[in-house]
Amino acid sequence: MTLNEGSIDQIYRVGDVKTDDPGMKEFLFSLGCYPGERICIISRLSSALVVNIKDARYSLDSDLASAIILSDGAAESLVV
Amino acid sequence: MSVMDMVVVGVILLVISLAVWKIVRDKKRGVKCSGCPDSGKCDCH
Amino acid sequence: MKIALTGNPNSGKTTLFNSITGKIEHVGNWPGVTVEKKEGPVKSSLLPKGQSVTVVDLPGAYSMSPYTSEESITRDFVMDESPDVIVNIVDATNISRSLFFTTQLLELGIPVVVALNKSDLNSKKGTIIDSALLSEVLNCPVVDTIATDSRNSGLGDLAEAAVSLKLKKAKQPAPAFSKGIDPNNKEEAEELDKKRYDFVSSVVKRVERRTVSSSSQTGQDKLDRIVAHKWLGLPIFAAVIWVVFSISQSWVGPWLADILVGWIDGFYGLVEGVIGEGTNPVISSLLLDGIIGGVGAVVGFLPLIMVLFFMLALLEDSGYMARVALLMDRYFKKIGLSGKSIIPMIVGTGCAIPGIMATRTIKSERQRRTTAMLTPFMPCGAKLPIIALFAGVFFNDNAWVGTSMYFLAIALIIVSGLVIKMITGDNSVSYFIMELPEYRFPSFKRAAISMMSRAKAFIIKAGTIILVCNALVQLLQTFTWTGQVVPEGNPGASILAAIASPLAWIFIPLGFGIWQFAAAAITGFIAKENVVGTLAVTFSVTNFIDVEELALVADGSQVLSVFGIGSVAALSYLIFNLFTPPCFAAIGSMNSEMESRKWLWGAIGFQLGTGYVMAFLVYQLGTLFTQGTLGSGFVGGLIASALFVGVIVLQISKTRKYDVQRNLKAA
Repeated sequence: MTLNEGSIDQIYRVGDVKTDDPGMKEFLFSLGCYPGERICIISRLSSALVVNIKDARYSLDSDLASAIILSDGAAESLVV
Repeated sequence: MSVMDMVVVGVILLVISLAVWKIVRDKKRGVKCSGCPDSGKCDCH
Repeated sequence: MKIALTGNPNSGKTTLFNSITGKIEHVGNWPGVTVEKKEGPVKSSLLPKGQSVTVVDLPGAYSMSPYTSEESITRDFVMDESPDVIVNIVDATNISRSLFFTTQLLELGIPVVVALNKSDLNSKKGTIIDSALLSEVLNCPVVDTIATDSRNSGLGDLAEAAVSLKLKKAKQPAPAFSKGIDPNNKEEAEELDKKRYDFVSSVVKRVERRTVSSSSQTGQDKLDRIVAHKWLGLPIFAAVIWVVFSISQSWVGPWLADILVGWIDGFYGLVEGVIGEGTNPVISSLLLDGIIGGVGAVVGFLPLIMVLFFMLALLEDSGYMARVALLMDRYFKKIGLSGKSIIPMIVGTGCAIPGIMATRTIKSERQRRTTAMLTPFMPCGAKLPIIALFAGVFFNDNAWVGTSMYFLAIALIIVSGLVIKMITGDNSVSYFIMELPEYRFPSFKRAAISMMSRAKAFIIKAGTIILVCNALVQLLQTFTWTGQVVPEGNPGASILAAIASPLAWIFIPLGFGIWQFAAAAITGFIAKENVVGTLAVTFSVTNFIDVEELALVADGSQVLSVFGIGSVAALSYLIFNLFTPPCFAAIGSMNSEMESRKWLWGAIGFQLGTGYVMAFLVYQLGTLFTQGTLGSGFVGGLIASALFVGVIVLQISKTRKYDVQRNLKAA
C-alpha cells in the first residue's frame, strides 16, 4: 500500500521510498521519513496530502505520496 | 543670468550630483538597484 | 570573531539575526525566505565589553547533504569558511527532526551553541524540554530563545554563551555513536544516518515531555481544511487579496496620500515663491516641474504602497502564504511547475528582484528558469503607482483594478507556463513537498518595521533614479535638436518627442499612439515608477492627488482630458506596462538566475510579446464592446500579434517534431 491510499488519522510505518529522484529519498530521510518511521495522515486538501512526520506537518502532492510505500500491518489507529 | 538663476542652477546640479553619487556608490557596493527592497544587498566583502 | 546561524528552514534564523544585529532583512512565516547569506555586526549591548562579533545568517537546511542550491550555501559556508562558533537554531516545537542536523554540526569540530527557539510556543502547548539535560547529553550549551520577543528573548545569554565557548580552549566532544563508521562508504553512511536518528530519538525521549501528541488533529488543521479547500481555497485567496487592495488603494491609502500630497504641494509653492518671477523659465521649470513635480508625483503614492506592504507583511507573517502554495500546486502542476514556484511570485509582489532570487529553492532547472521568467508578471511595488494612477483617473479608485491585475498576472503566468512547457517539450513533473508552518497571529510591530524599510527604499529610489530620469525627461522635452527652447504650443518639436514619436506608431493599435505615453513606457524600463513620473512631467500635471476633494487623482475628468485617451485605452496602457519586461535591474537578476543567454533573450522577447498582445486584445475588444467598432490600427496590430503567436507556434511545432523523431529512433 502507498501513502496515497492511506486513510486519515491513521499512523503508519514507512516501508520504502520508491522514486527516480535520488535526491528526494535523501531529502525525505533528512525530514525523518525513512523505513521504519511513523507517519500520520492529517488530511487531504485539494490535490495534496497533509502528513505528520516526527513533529512537523508537511504537505505533499499525490505523486510523492504514491512513491512512499507503507509497510504492512503496522497501522495503529489514533486515539484522540 | 541673474543671481537667482545661478542659485537655482546650483541647487539643481547639487541635487542631481547627490543622486548620481548615491547610485554610483550603491553600484560599487554591489546593490543591483538603488532603493529596491532587499535586492541583493550583500555586506559580505 | 564570526558566528554562523544555521538551522532548519523556518526555525527563525533571520528573525533572530534581525534581533541581534538590528538589521531589517526580509522574514516570513514559511520555509525558504532566505536564499543568500547575510552578514552583520552583533549589537554591542548584547555582548560583554570590548568584544566585536560578526554574525552570518545562512539559508535554512535540513541536513549537511544539500537538496537545493540554497542549502548548499549553508553547507559550503560551515565547511569552508570555518566560523568561530556555530549557533544552531533549533525549533523547540520540533526537536525530534531538528536535532538530526545538530548532531551533524557537532561533528564538524567547530564549537556549537544550540538556541532553542520558539520556546514560547512550547509552553502554550504544554510541551516541556529539559534544556539542562539536553545540554548535558549533547555536550554543548543550550539557550532558550524567543527571537520574536524583543524583551524576553534570551539573546544576551546566547551571545554570551557563544563568546565564552570561543574563549574556552577545550574541544567539544561530539556525541559518540559514529565510531568506526566510514562516512564515505554509501551504505555505511546510510547506516550512520539511521544511527544518528536513533540517537536523536533517544535524546528526545529523555528531554521532552509532550502533553499532546503532534499527530493529533488541531484547530490549525481545521483551518487548513477551509483555506486550502479544493473549491473554497481560490475564492478565499481572491477575497483576501481584494481586502488588501481595497484597504490600501481605496480606504486608508488615499486618505494618507492626501495629507502627504498637501505637504508636497506646500513645498512646491514654497520653492516657487523663493525663486520668484524673475528667473529664467527654463531653469525654474526644470527644478519645479521636472524635479519637484516629477518626484512628487511618484512620492505621492508612497502611503498607498506603505499600506499595501504592511498588509502583505501581515499575511506573510501569519503562515497563510504556505497554504497558498499548497493550493496553487494543483494548477501549477498542469503547466509543468509546482507549488514551489508560487513562493518566488509572492516575494515578487514586493519587488521582482528578490522574487527572482527566490527561485533558487527550485531544484529542476527548467522550472527554475520558467519561474524566473514569469515572476516579473506579478505587480511589484514599483508598478503600484501606475495601477493607482490609472485606477484613480479612469476607474474611480476601485479596488477591483488592483485585485484584477493581481489575478490577471496569475492567469497570465499559468497560460505562459503552459506555452513555455510546450516550447521546451519537457514534460517531467517534479514532486512537491513543503513544510506547513504553524499559523500565528501576525505581529503589527514586525509588519510596521518591514513597511518602514520598504518606504525608506522607495524614497531613496525616488530621490535617485527617478529624480535623475525626471530631470532628463524635462530637459529633453524643453529643447529641440538644435538646442533651441521648444516654442510654446508646439511640444512635438522637442528631442523627447522626436525620440518617442516613432515608437508611438507601434502603439497605435494598442490605443495609446501618443509620444508622451511612448516616452513613459521607455523610461519605465529603468524603473517602473518612472511611468508615473514621466507622464507627470510630459503632460505637466504635477499633482495627481487632489487635496481638497480627497480623491486620489485631482479632478479625474480634468486629468483625463489632458491625457487624451479613453478608459479602454487606459486599461490597455496599464496592462502593457505591467506585463512587458520588468526594469533593467530585474532583467539583470533574471540573467544571473537563468544562467543562459538563450533563456534570457527568449524571456525578454516573450514578455514583450505578451505585453503587446494583451494590450492589443484589451483595446480592440474593449473598443468593439463599448463603441461597436474596432479601434484604430487594427490591421497593423493584428499582423504584429500574429507574428508573435506564429513564432511561438513554430517553436512548439519544432519541439514536437524533434520529439516524434526521437520517439521513432527510440522505437
